[in-house]
Amino acid sequence: MAVTVGGGASAGAGATLPDWFTSKKKNPSNLIVARWVPIALVGLPVLTLLAIVIYPTIWMFYHAFQDTNMMRLFQHNWSFVGFENFKTVLSSARFGDSVWHLVLYLTFGTGLEVVLAVILALTLYEVVKNSLLRVILLVLIVLPMMLPPSIVGVLWKFMLTPSNGAVNHALLNMGLISTPVEWFNAGVSLWSIIIADVWNWTALPLLIIYSGRVSLPPAVYEAARVDGAGGWMVMRRITLPMLKEVIAIAFIVRFMDAFKFVDLVYVMTSGGPAQTSELPAYIAFQRGIREFAIGEAAAYAIVIFACSAVIITLFLKYLKKVLKAQAIA
Amino acid sequence: MSEKNYALVKVLLLIFLGIWMLFTLFPLYWQLITAFKSAGETNLTVPTFWPDEWHPENFIAVFADKSNFGALIDSFVIATGNTLASLFLGTLAGYAFARFPRQAGGENLSFWILSNRMFPPVAILIPMFFLFDAMPWGTDSHISLIILYLVFNMPLATWLMMVFFRDAPRELEEAAYLDGFTPLQAFRRVTLPLVLPGMVSVGILCWIFAWNEYLFANLFVGSAVRTFTIVIPTFTNGSQTLWNLQMAFSLIAMIPPVTLFILLRRYMVRGLSLGVVKG
Repeated sequence: MAVTVGGGASAGAGATLPDWFTSKKKNPSNLIVARWVPIALVGLPVLTLLAIVIYPTIWMFYHAFQDTNMMRLFQHNWSFVGFENFKTVLSSARFGDSVWHLVLYLTFGTGLEVVLAVILALTLYEVVKNSLLRVILLVLIVLPMMLPPSIVGVLWKFMLTPSNGAVNHALLNMGLISTPVEWFNAGVSLWSIIIADVWNWTALPLLIIYSGRVSLPPAVYEAARVDGAGGWMVMRRITLPMLKEVIAIAFIVRFMDAFKFVDLVYVMTSGGPAQTSELPAYIAFQRGIREFAIGEAAAYAIVIFACSAVIITLFLKYLKKVLKAQAIA
Repeated sequence: MSEKNYALVKVLLLIFLGIWMLFTLFPLYWQLITAFKSAGETNLTVPTFWPDEWHPENFIAVFADKSNFGALIDSFVIATGNTLASLFLGTLAGYAFARFPRQAGGENLSFWILSNRMFPPVAILIPMFFLFDAMPWGTDSHISLIILYLVFNMPLATWLMMVFFRDAPRELEEAAYLDGFTPLQAFRRVTLPLVLPGMVSVGILCWIFAWNEYLFANLFVGSAVRTFTIVIPTFTNGSQTLWNLQMAFSLIAMIPPVTLFILLRRYMVRGLSLGVVKG
């Protein structure tokens, strides 16, 4: 494409900017056009999205207050039970346990991933000086992220097989353990999921932080070098403070994912054994889709929905601030 | 910490990076060699870390069931259809938000679109199923997943396209109008070429997310349409899991996203960090 600005096209000597583009008021009919073009452009995408999500959202809120299960649903025979479903959910040990599992997952999955991502991204940028090697390492590190959850789940399930799995035998050969670890026993299976998740998703915060580091202004580092600041000083006083927002965003992105984390749990353990590796989102899925307690599943969904709504709102506020500061939005 | 210690820390960091690479690559290595093993060798009491015999025919055996090839096609159709729809809608909205931020509903509307990507899909999974069941095309069809995946891909496309349109100078478009271009011409000949590289990277991100999606596919489709993600766990011989075929098939299914990523990693890194969200 080659646009000769101002030159050549004398054909449009009398042409002006269309009113809808400048949204300057000329005459009433053009004003209407100027007002409606942006709305028309936005309308189709917004209506599409609304059409997809509005009915399910209303349905969910309605059935959370009904005693609906699969049978009653098909017989159109459910009745209003008030906050009964919410009481069941919030007082059940199953939900309490899943919240504890979520805390563990957030600390040792999400939290650890971000810490690892900071260390690895900065190591990659600051310590690995060969740029070809750096690109190769980056591509290899990101590979696990390109796999669908069903492959990740199946692969780790296979490798963690207690009797003849690769991980146990590798650890045995290296002398790190003396008896095979029962990776899918109660109390351990959650950790197996967390390991697979760390493997799968550390690359996402890593990429975010790495590209954040790449876009830091070189002039600052130049100035620091002129002032004779050493590597550690630069890291502690310049790099880490300047990456604060980026690291926060990377963390929040993974944090929000924790509330929708279902697929690996489903593929690897189905929440088992004895519900010891269930996370809240998985229970909502399990209660509704496997156990047909639709009213209760809706209540679960709304509790999760409410928690994530709070977090998402806070995050979006923060994001607005950061984007404004960076003059992106 | 003194600067001398920092040099030592650098060495430790390199060692740590090495360990991490081992952790990252071992499962992929295991996937690769398992794909070449015989079914018997994958079930030995002591696993072999190098195949005794190589069985490249596993990669043909996965297609003994013709429908497995069909699953790759189904995934391709769904991912491509969804990508085109997401790009179309995302470009419309992104252009409006970038050029007319106030008239197009402003920050609140664009953030509402983004929030759709962040909410847990379980919350609407069940009613979504009934909703699509009532539609003429039913749940078990390409179109149902193409529409569903819009929930997470369209917000991504909208936001990234918005950023790319902002980067494309408004003055060029103005100049085109002054040269007598019609709005559509100006968009097609001036603005679109400027955002095209960005658009390609958005398309690839959307495509990979749709290609890899598992949860919706597992619930919605299964007989008339099957995506490869739901086929992988089904490679069994009675009660015995055929790990070698699972791994061979998953290796084949990994080729498109991995190739796309390697070729276009520069755009994707930018896309991922600007979008700050994943599916």
